[in-house]
Amino acid sequence: MTPPPVAGSVISTVNLVKIYSNGGVPVPAVRGVDLRVEAGEFVAIMGPSGSGKSTLVHMLGGLDSRTSGEIWLDGRRADTLGESAWALLRRRKIGFVFQFFNLVATMTVADNVELPALLAGASAREARERRERLLAELGLTGRADASPAQLAGGEQQRVALARALANRPSLLLADEPTGNLDSRNTRDVLRLIGEVHRGGQTVVLVTHDARVAGMADRVISLLDGQVVDDGTVGAARRRPRGTAGDVVELRG
Amino acid sequence: MSTLRASARWIRADLRARWGQALLTVLVVAGIVTALITAATLLEDGTNPWRRLFTESRGAHVWIHTRNAPDVAALSRLPGVVQVAGPYRTAPVTLAADGRRSPVTLRGMEARPPAVAAPLVRRGRWLRPDDAGGVVVERSFAEALGLRVGAPFTVTALNGASHPLTVLGLADTADQGFYPETAPGLAWTLTSTLAGVEPALGRSESVTGLRLADGEDTLPVVHGAATLLGGQIQRMSTWREVRAAMELDNRLLGLLLALFGVAGLVAAALAVANAVGGRVLTQTCDIATLKSLGYTRGQVFGLLTAEHGGLGLLGVAAGLLCGRLAASFALDGVPVSTLSSLPPLAIAAGAATVVLVAAALPAWRGGRTPPIPAVPAAPPRGRLSRVARLALLVRLPPALVLGARDAFTRRVPALLSIAGLAVPMMMITIGLGCWATLDDFLLHPERVGQAAALTVHPGRLPAEEAARLAEADPQVAAVYPGSEVSALEPEQTRSVQARALGTSATPYPFPVVEGRMFAARGEAVAGQGLLDLLGVRIGDRVRMTVGGTPLIVRIVGRVLEPDHDGEVLSLGLDSLAAKDAVPPQFYGLVLRPGADPEEVRARLLTASDEALEVRRVVNPAERLVVIRGVIVALIVVLSLLGLANLLTASALGLRDHALDLAVLKAVGLTPRQVTATLVAGTGLLAVLGVGAGAAAGAWLVGGLIDLQGRGSGFGAGIGRAPSALTMAVAVSAAIGAALLVTVIPARRAARAQVPTTPR
Repeated sequence: MTPPPVAGSVISTVNLVKIYSNGGVPVPAVRGVDLRVEAGEFVAIMGPSGSGKSTLVHMLGGLDSRTSGEIWLDGRRADTLGESAWALLRRRKIGFVFQFFNLVATMTVADNVELPALLAGASAREARERRERLLAELGLTGRADASPAQLAGGEQQRVALARALANRPSLLLADEPTGNLDSRNTRDVLRLIGEVHRGGQTVVLVTHDARVAGMADRVISLLDGQVVDDGTVGAARRRPRGTAGDVVELRG
Repeated sequence: MSTLRASARWIRADLRARWGQALLTVLVVAGIVTALITAATLLEDGTNPWRRLFTESRGAHVWIHTRNAPDVAALSRLPGVVQVAGPYRTAPVTLAADGRRSPVTLRGMEARPPAVAAPLVRRGRWLRPDDAGGVVVERSFAEALGLRVGAPFTVTALNGASHPLTVLGLADTADQGFYPETAPGLAWTLTSTLAGVEPALGRSESVTGLRLADGEDTLPVVHGAATLLGGQIQRMSTWREVRAAMELDNRLLGLLLALFGVAGLVAAALAVANAVGGRVLTQTCDIATLKSLGYTRGQVFGLLTAEHGGLGLLGVAAGLLCGRLAASFALDGVPVSTLSSLPPLAIAAGAATVVLVAAALPAWRGGRTPPIPAVPAAPPRGRLSRVARLALLVRLPPALVLGARDAFTRRVPALLSIAGLAVPMMMITIGLGCWATLDDFLLHPERVGQAAALTVHPGRLPAEEAARLAEADPQVAAVYPGSEVSALEPEQTRSVQARALGTSATPYPFPVVEGRMFAARGEAVAGQGLLDLLGVRIGDRVRMTVGGTPLIVRIVGRVLEPDHDGEVLSLGLDSLAAKDAVPPQFYGLVLRPGADPEEVRARLLTASDEALEVRRVVNPAERLVVIRGVIVALIVVLSLLGLANLLTASALGLRDHALDLAVLKAVGLTPRQVTATLVAGTGLLAVLGVGAGAAAGAWLVGGLIDLQGRGSGFGAGIGRAPSALTMAVAVSAAIGAALLVTVIPARRAARAQVPTTPR
């Protein structure tokens, strides 16, 4: 019913719907989202609690299944993929960062970062080299042998970021990556995500914090599972007024 | 393939984080596989030394004991008979060594070893034509007495004359069972030497062995021989009795181990399933993270199965090794034909399958974890039940009520935990019951037919003098005259023992468990083994032959019979023909309570100037002393099993309720009450499991032991449940240990800063 997505889009969704069932009562979380993210874009998805932004980004990464609609990744239909095919896709193309870091508690920082590389078939040496480089970039060289529990929250999130970047994914999905951090750590993590973006990777970031969203090229606002606003922040800064960017700035 | 390296990292890290639990799994599985393999080895036919000895010595299938040498030519013409061994002349003598007097059967042989049933010389050498003063001694007998090659072997014949002989060699034989289960001991000497020791033909008998074409088919030959020789036959035996005599102890031990092993394997499967299930639940978030990183469902399943199943397989391998070691230790010194490696491998494969399935089922559930790490896998929650509200109303401690409610928030793990504790506790109770039964044997030998602690053989004295001496001893409560004769059973295929002890008027206190004691001439009581052998019941009349004289008795009761697989007929001395009963062969001495049998024995020997032969009665429990060691080892393994289950339950309880802790503290529970809540949750499961297991064990143990007693011919009625005190101690120890194991992590959790955010 809709035209096929334009080539060059990293993500495109067509009328994406997610309805949870809570005790037999259908609870719509995402209601018909049409979204297109181009390669190299930095998109922030904003909205209040319960607006469906986490659900949307989980569906984009295949962590959650859609109720209806289409998801296209790199010009290929992805919503019809099975769980295993999604897993393989994530391994190669998608990096995830979560609010609560989700480092594997029993593994050291080094093992946590090397895990995705090893999973994707890198040799132990290659994985180690990548890990050393990433940890050095994120200022964590000295903490390689520490266990996650020994790290502060900001450090843990940087490790999680290093893990998400271990396979140089073309798409980084971040679900409230700064939701659990103080302002200094928030700044650090956002700076790092910014660097990733400048390196050419596509970033989709979920946040309810307008300052965080301000880092992005483009801000999409969700309310009750629907896109209520979609605007380019960079352009807004250059243009005088009248876009969502201004609203965000005011809120911040 | 690419996931191997990543999975190896994960497994390594996970094992490092919970090495104690991992080690516990390995130890438990190893212990159980060890028990199973040892059991299989002990129960395997190849471990019965009889098979190898019989093959190696080309043994005789049937042995016939007659007064005089039988007609060999006629015997060899019997259908099925291939070769004949003997006839050999044998004479009963007494060996005096180290102050002990042991009865020996001296068998006359030629210097040339026979073609059939040749003794297998293991040390020294066989007899030579000029070895007038030499003997070759049966190996188990020599070992029991500490005889070596070159040792003196001074025997006293029935006429009292002493003959100094020398041990030339030690040999194995398949002609009779091992000493002391089979007594008297056996020694071979040259026919000429035997004639010198016992010149009177009337005091010796003749032994003839028949080797058959088909060993399974002994019946026609036995019947043929009985018809041919008639009243001449004193006693007959077949290879089956020898084989049974050689396997006695190992078999009981093997059965015990097998019972514990099989039940243990079930419990171990429960423990592994519970542990993996609990681990999957505690790691839900990590597993979700793995999936978000690109693990597929199948890969997560494989990862979990590899880790937990791998631990189990390691345990199986260790058990295989330990089982082999334990079996070779148990069979130390027993001549065993090559063991088949099939049963241990089958056990290992079976145990491996059980462990893998037990690990795979929860791993499968783990594989289906949704890949969103943020969703906490909360237990199903509900409102307080009516019972709980009532409990709070009557002011039961809230910690107890909350804990009891928490215990069942997850039904399946809770039930697995209860079953996982109940099965080991049940087996421990059964083990304690075996222990109590052994204790009962030792403390109350009169209940198992061993009221007489000593038997006195008149030796060189007249029987009346022996009786007078015994009665004169202040510590002797009663003296019962007795005789033991071989009786050919009605079909005349084999001999059983007829034991006359006491008289019909004053019977020996046999432990009658069914029917009644014999009270008149012509009445007898029997062991379970004899009832089974003859296929008769209490109240039936049986006809036997003792040395050619018919013996017709009515069986009026069943007694517990520890000797000869229960194939013993017990009757009054007056029921035997006078030729067998007068004078009595021996006297059974019942001592006064508290008397020391050794002391009485020494006193009797002194009083008779060493003329009497006084023997201590060997309690069957003394032979089974190794079972106690096995019971202790099994209790250790089973306790570890229970511990593994408990740790799982405790970890799961903590994980599920970690979030509640903050709430509990917020509503005003002290850290101590929070600890109590957590302990009550796991403790309730422990109490239920231990209680159910102990009850089931106590209910089963008597029946199980009686079943074994019945099967071994001993007879039902020996099984004892552990005493109430033992049970109370065991149950409180188990529950106490369980609470202790729970309280440490609970305290830590209650004092820790509790996260209020989802993990």
